[in-house]
Formats: sequence, structure tokens, C-alpha cells
Amino acid sequence: MKYTAKPLPKVELPELRQVGKPLRRVDALGKTTGTTVYSGDFTMPNMLHAKVFRSREPSARIKRLDVSRARALPGVVCVLTAADLPDARLVTDMPGQTGQKRRAGSDAPVLASDVVRFAGEPIALIAAETLAVAEQALDLVEIEYEPLPGVFDPLAALQPGAPVVHEPDNVVARWKIRKGDVKAGFAVADVVVENTFRVPFIDHAYIEPESGVAWMDGQDVINIRVCTQVVEHFRSIARAVGVPHNKIHIQGTLLGGGFGGKEDITVEIFLALLAKHTRRPVRLEYTREESILAHSKRHPFIITHRTGVKRNGRITAAEIKMVSDSGAYLYLSPYVLLYATIAASGPYRVDHLKVDSVSAATNNPFTSAFRGFGAAQAAVAYEQQMDEIAKVLGLDPLEVRCVNYLKTGDRNATGQEIKSAVWLEEAATRALEALGEKTPAPSDAVKIGQGFASYLQSYGRITWFHDTSRAWVGLELDGSVVIRCGVPDLGAGQINSLCQIAAEVLGVGLDDVTIYSTDSALTPLAGTTTATRQLYMSGNAVFHAAGAVRESLLERASKHFEEPPDGLDLAEGRVFVKDDPEQSLPLSELAAMCAAGGLPLANLYLFKAPFTSTLDPEGLQGDVFPDFTFGAHAVEVAVDTETGEITLLKSVGCHDVGRAINPAAVVGQIQGGSAQGLGYALMEEVIVEEGIIRTPSLAEYLIPTAMDLPVTQAIILESGSGVGPFGAKGIGEPSLTPAAPAVANAVADALGVRIPDLPLTPDKVLAALDRAAGREAVGAAACETDDDGSEA
Amino acid sequence: MLPEFNLLTPQTLAEALDMLAESAPDAVPLAGGTNLIVDLRDRRQCPAVLVNVAELAELRGIRQENGHVVMGGGTTIAEMLNDPLIAQHAPVLQDAARIFANPLVRHRATVAGNLVYGSPAANTPPPLLVLDAEVELASQAGVRRVPLDDFLVGVRETACRPAELLTAVRWPTPAQHSAAAFRKVGLRKSDAIAVLNVAVRVTQRADGVCEQTRIALGSVAPRVIRARAAEESLLGQPLTETAIAEAARLAAEATRCISDIRGSADYRRRVTEVLVRRLLTQVAGEVK
Repeated sequence: MKYTAKPLPKVELPELRQVGKPLRRVDALGKTTGTTVYSGDFTMPNMLHAKVFRSREPSARIKRLDVSRARALPGVVCVLTAADLPDARLVTDMPGQTGQKRRAGSDAPVLASDVVRFAGEPIALIAAETLAVAEQALDLVEIEYEPLPGVFDPLAALQPGAPVVHEPDNVVARWKIRKGDVKAGFAVADVVVENTFRVPFIDHAYIEPESGVAWMDGQDVINIRVCTQVVEHFRSIARAVGVPHNKIHIQGTLLGGGFGGKEDITVEIFLALLAKHTRRPVRLEYTREESILAHSKRHPFIITHRTGVKRNGRITAAEIKMVSDSGAYLYLSPYVLLYATIAASGPYRVDHLKVDSVSAATNNPFTSAFRGFGAAQAAVAYEQQMDEIAKVLGLDPLEVRCVNYLKTGDRNATGQEIKSAVWLEEAATRALEALGEKTPAPSDAVKIGQGFASYLQSYGRITWFHDTSRAWVGLELDGSVVIRCGVPDLGAGQINSLCQIAAEVLGVGLDDVTIYSTDSALTPLAGTTTATRQLYMSGNAVFHAAGAVRESLLERASKHFEEPPDGLDLAEGRVFVKDDPEQSLPLSELAAMCAAGGLPLANLYLFKAPFTSTLDPEGLQGDVFPDFTFGAHAVEVAVDTETGEITLLKSVGCHDVGRAINPAAVVGQIQGGSAQGLGYALMEEVIVEEGIIRTPSLAEYLIPTAMDLPVTQAIILESGSGVGPFGAKGIGEPSLTPAAPAVANAVADALGVRIPDLPLTPDKVLAALDRAAGREAVGAAACETDDDGSEA
Repeated sequence: MLPEFNLLTPQTLAEALDMLAESAPDAVPLAGGTNLIVDLRDRRQCPAVLVNVAELAELRGIRQENGHVVMGGGTTIAEMLNDPLIAQHAPVLQDAARIFANPLVRHRATVAGNLVYGSPAANTPPPLLVLDAEVELASQAGVRRVPLDDFLVGVRETACRPAELLTAVRWPTPAQHSAAAFRKVGLRKSDAIAVLNVAVRVTQRADGVCEQTRIALGSVAPRVIRARAAEESLLGQPLTETAIAEAARLAAEATRCISDIRGSADYRRRVTEVLVRRLLTQVAGEVK
């Protein structure tokens, strides 16, 4: 089928001087020439090297732990076990959140004491004069385990009698949405479609494993140089280490990727404890293998959709059940589940909706944040379900979606009104148009398929977390600009966007702006680089701080030129009269005038997201997020029906980003994010058997290479309707979300049969073809309904 | 971290063989190191001595000699990929080299290392087996030649003795009417351990009757194997669709597959049949 792009609503965005330009990012040169200093690059004089002794058992009582031989090894300076840190806990709550009541006892201990709950759980810390000695000492730790019954499947964990990971039971979170009258909705349905979809554990596989250096200074402040998405963890670190908040100083570095895996505390507490005990600098860096063992994974989900539809595709009711595997410790599982729950019905208007979700504790690796944060898992299910609905009704997948797409002013699953532009059809038709005609199949054995997926994804944090960001912007006396903002830059261009915004507001070039970032003590706290929130939150903080400086400058210039401030403008490092640009001054002279008059040349701005109250847990109706990004991804695949191999032929991402602050960076996000999503669909899986990771290194855990991916064509739409600066929306997480379901839909299109479990391995392709050929039983699909809504 | 070891760098082959003999069995030759360094780091091997043979001139070079192609054991996969003699006489080897790991590894890894490591998933043994390759094993005692088919024994097990060095691989220059093909299935298109590897070579008479057939299968048994029953089934026959299908079926029967994280035994067996059929069909078309 040939698709034509739907015309865009007319939007007039003002032409800007810095914003909207694909400028060379402020972090580009250092990264290209190798001069950027990452956290693993730091060393200090007299520094010790640390290693972490970890559990090999997924569920066991520690019968005996003896570190005396390790302690006695020459060169070993410090060995710490749980006995040395009474009740130190890794508080994994979201920093700054003020709503959700926590489940007692489910925070991870910093070091395991009596029992271990997953393979890889930290048990002892070692600091030694050299890395070699530290590694030798690991071998000298003596431990005896008494294996305990474990539970390794979330469905099994929810059964009565299952081994309990944390008392009183394995339910770590439950959410439910109750909207409209589901029974009535199903009663008017012509057809009910039911399917179950599964997604696996996956690893963030950032290029930079976790690392850091910590040292105590003359004020007894524990300084930690570390790659983290969250410098605000200093409070939790202080609590775990037993020092006041103001004695932990995080000096965050540029990151070689985070994707949610550096959203939780990684090496920080270990480093702080060892620095405190030894009073020497300590360095800890994970190998790739330890990184895979030590950090969180994306939650596996089992998602069942039961959808009532009219013959024209209109959804009359939906009932969705979700189960996620929380692993051995809580971390962010309740919130990931909440995001999944709210996104469960996708970017569609569903007036009668019931969602029940539950997250179960198991003895598997713990799960937490991963780009998309539950909403990505939800999209894998709801977008496959939309294609299945289309198939059952004999409609085009786009047609079914168009009947149901949310529109501005509609209400989402929690009844929150969508106020920004909703360019779902615009994005989907553009992605499909760009995909073009199907490539001819090279042989009978190869089938070509096309598929796409739409999505909605929140940007900005849950509004009952009362999220804030601060930024300081100042003009130097020579007309150069300084930003101080605690934002961590994961590699996505977070700091560059802030610089481009400040450059725009203050009328200077990007090269005239220097940013100091990611420091918990010296830069104003900007909150986490998570939840696609930094452009929205810190972008607004910088926009307003720079705006205040601009106002101050224009007021002074107004006196000088005897023109009203709105008759003046700032550009190219000068202030000038709009109607007579010849009348102008360099910013350095204007700054000197301000300084001579004691006028402020800097501003610290606190930006606040909308604050709302928590919702009634009985139905979750109300506002939850600041806004949403919408878009689509489309792909073409070739599937070899004899070998099961899938080759991606084409890939197009089209997203309404509101306003692209730096279009080149946005293209980078769309290409990079979708690459992660395409890998999610095709090959990525942390295989866990009885709690043991069977993909312990990047030789077994496969992520796509350049050979596996076509160049993703990025189509940027700009509605200017976002709540970020200049009307921007967020693109960090949204770029990933639709890619995996698009692949699943394309493969189903090619094969005529669906594989409901990611990743779509060659083995599963052949098994699905066998099922389709009747070589094995076929799962449930659709059923006609009687007038009363019961299944016929 | 790497464990401690002594690194010796001999200047000549004779010196290298002396060093290996002196420290056997605790000495291991180091060439590209793409397997060895990983094993050292993971403590799968802890030799006291590494003998660095990477620079030895005697192990380099690809030449023709008495109707054979002789390739030094120190030939890197990248060199193999770019060599005109290989392109002319053994393009099938380049097909395997092309999908070998990634460009960085291809520039370090050597053919000797790939064979000596004894991995059933290695990419060069299937094409070398269908070329009827022999390996030259040198030690202080002299040089012996062993057919590759006898050299490969089991998982990480070969006929290479302690203090022996694989110095060269050689095979008869293939006949004019011979064509070969290779195919790997991996879970991604680069840098993937093979789910299975298949290589075939067929020599046909002018009338299309098959004179000689070789079928080699990787990752479907504890070592890379020849599917002899399948090979024999084609002898003296034209390569018809039926004959090819039967040979493919017999090849699949020769496998002894296991299930692992990369694929099920059933998948491997089934796709072995598919690939043997496809490759035989391909070469049947090429030979004429």
C-alpha cells in the first residue's frame, strides 16, 4: 500500500539565530580528539584500587564469610563486609520524590549479610595498593553458602507457596487504571481481540562501564568523581555511609552513555566507604563482565491485551494485564510499572479502560530504569495489538490507528488532557511514505515485510514528584557567557542544548558560552538526567536565567540608547537598536556599564514543573506528566523463511520534537535511540537461567553493529507546542520506543504470523512458521462477540 | 587483569621452537592473541611463558608450491582476505574471512590461531576442510604434516602436541572444474560467534557428473566435521535437485548438535540441511 504524508497544520515558528541550527556541539571536539576526560581516566597520587566480592548464588544463606586471609595479604589495605557497616542500605528511591509510600525492607543492603538474593550481589569490598593485589584478595575471601529455594519467574513468584524474596510476599507494586465502563464498552464491541506479548531482560550496554575515584579532603568531605545520571544521589550516599549530606561531593563527568543504567547508584557508596575507612583516594572500575553482573536490567514484561473493537476499528473497551519481573531488589520497579500502566493503551482514545499491573520480586538480576522506562515495554505490546486488530478486521494498520489516535484536547488513560500538538497521523504517514514501496524479494525463501509503530511517551517526571531544576547564567566582563547547571550529560547533548539556548537569549555565538555542569556542590542542582526531562527542566531554567540577564542588560542599554528595552536586541555579541542597527555596543562595554552601576550580570533560576497531588490508587485518574511526545517509526525487513534470519532493509523515525534546539543532535537521538530499539527487537536479551546470567559478556550479549542496521532516516517535525524552551518536547526516550514494535509488525507482515516474544531470533522465526503451517498448536487470537459482549 | 607471565620474543623459527620445547607444557605461542589474551584475562589459561611468534618471517607469506597453495600460519585473516592468490585459488576462504569477527580482530587473528584453538565455531576450518588442507606442525623434532581432518579432534582439542607450532596450512590448488561456497549463520551480521558454518566444494566433469565433493559443517558437532555420507551420495551423479536434497538430508544427519544460547539443536540441524542444499545448488550453477 502506498501512503501519502498528511499535510501538517500550519505552525509559524520564529527564525532564531542559534536555536534550531545544527551547530557543532560544545562537547564534540573533545570527544572527537580524545581529550575529553571520563571518570575512568582519573587517577590520584597514593590511590588505592578497589574490587567488589560478589555472590555466585542467586538465593542462599551465607553460612560463613571469612575475609581474614584477604585482609592478611600484603598490599591489602581494607576489606569491608556487612559486619563493618551496620544496616547500610542502598536507598533506591527517586531523588526528590515526595509521594509514594515505600515498602519496608525492600531496599538493597549495600553489602549482603545473612542472605544473598541474586547472583552478583555485593558481599565484600577490597581496597589494595594495586589492582593485581585487589584481584588476588578476591580469591582469598572464603564463603560458604547454604542454597535456599529461589524463584526465577515472575508468574511463579506470584503463586501461593512460592519462595518469598522479601516478606510478606513477592508483590512489590501494583497499579490499576479504572476509566469509564469496561463492561459497557465490550458490550458494544463487534469483535474482541486478545493477545499476550513478552519482552526480555536487556542490558544498557553503554560503551563506558561504571567507574569512579573517591577521596576525603581537608574538610572531611568525601569527593567522588563518577559517571552518573544523578548527582543528587549524594544524599542517599551520605545516609548509607553515615555522614551528613554536606560531606558528600559528587563531581560528575561526561558519560559514555547511561540509558537508565546509571540512574541508580553504582560505584559511589563503595567508593565513599573505602575512602572513608582508608582516608586515601580509591579507584573502582567495573570490567564489562562485572558491569553486566552489577547494574540493573530492563524489566521483562508479560502483557495481555483484550480489546473490544467496532468493525471500523474503533476501540470500544480495553482490558490490559501486565506483569513485570522486579528481580531481587525493588529499585525503581514501582515507577517503571506505573509508566507502563499509564502507557498501556498507547496513543489511542480508550474511553473504557481497565489496566491491572503487578511487579513481582524474584531471585533474578534486579531491574530498574532503561530508556523508555516501562512505556517502551508497553509500546511493544500495544502496537502489536493494533496490527493484530487490523488483521482480524481486514483493515490497513494505519486505518485502524487513525480511527483511534488521540487528538489535542482528548484525555489519555489517566484522564489527563493532552494540551500539546498530537501529530500522530502526520508522523506515521511521513514515516511510511519515506519507507516507500516494498523492496522485491531476492528469492522465494525470502519474504519482505513492512511495519510501523506509533507511540506516546511522557517527558518530564511524574508531577507529584514536585520536580525542579536550577541554572545559573552570567555574563563575563568580556561579553562571554558562563552557565552553571548540575545537569549530567549522558552523551545526548544535554549541555550543548543549554549552551545553545543561552547563546540565543544573550545574543552570543555558541563558542562564547562555557558551561560548568554535573557537580553536586558547585553547580546548582538540576535534577536527574532521566525521564527525558533535562531539555524541558534545565532548558527552561537556563532560558529563564538567561532571560533575566538579558532583561537586566537591555534595561541598562535602554538608558544608554534612549530607546525602550523592546526596541533593542542582542546578537553577535552586541546590543543594538532594532530600527537602526548601526547604533550598537559590544556586550563587553554594556557589561562594564552594568558592573559600574552595580547591576546584576547573573541570575540563578529555579524552574518548577507543574506540581500535582498523588492520584487515588483505586483508578489513577488525574494528571501525571507535564506533557507527551508523539511520533512513529517504520521499518522494512527481509526474512529468510528457511534460516529464520531477519535483515533490516529500511528504517525511518519521524517524531514531533516541538522545536529542535540542535537538529543534528536530534537526528543523533533518533538514530541512536532507534538502534537500541531495533536491537531490542532482533537480538538483545540477557538470558537468565535459574538466576544465572548466561550472556555474561558482549561476546554473548549481542547488540546491533553498523552491519546490522540501515541508516535510520530521521524526519523531524516541529509543532512548537511543547512545554520545553522554544516549544521543545523531549526526544531522548521517545526515539527508542516505537522501533521494536515496528520491527515486530514488519516481521509479522513478512511471515503472515506473529512471534509474540522479543527478541525475534532465527529459532523463533522457524518455530512460528511451523505453528502457522499447523505443525504445532496455535495460540488464541480473536473471537466474535455476541451482542451482550460475551465471547461466542 | 592479565596474570603474570614471561613474554619471549624469538627472532627465528628455530629459536621459537627451542623456547617452546624448553618451557613445555607451560609455554604457549602468542600470535594475534585474539583468543589467548581473552582467555588469560578470564583465567581460562594460565601459561607461565608466552612465546611471541607474531613477527616470525617463517610464518608469513602465501605462495604456490608444487601444485599446492601454502599459507604461513602467521597469515592474518585480513591478509587472507586481501591476497590475490587466495582470491584466485580459494575464494571460499575469503568468504569465511569476510565475516570473521570484525575488522580489528581480522587484522590481528591468524589462521594458525584459528585452527589451533580448536573451536567448533571457528570460521576458517570449514573452507579449509573442503579444500583438503593439511597443516604443518613444527617442533625441535622436525616438521610433520597432518590432514586438517585429522588435526581437529574435539572442543578445544587438536592433534597439536606441546611444543609444536602450526607453521603453515597447505592445500592442492583446486581443479578448474571445481567450485566452492561458504555460509555462516550468526545472530548478527558482524562479530558474532557462528550458530552454524557450512562450506562445500564440488568438482564436476564437463557432462555435469560430480567427481569429488566436500561438505564441511561447523558448530554442529564437537569439532568441525565433514559430512562424508552426503559427499559420497553425490559421487558419479549429476547435481540434480533430488541429488542435492538427498545430500543435504544426509549432511543434517551427520550433525551432533547441542542447544545453547545461540540456537537450538533442532534449529542447527534443520538449517544445516537448508544451507547445504543452497550452497550445493549455488556451486552446481557455478562449475559449468
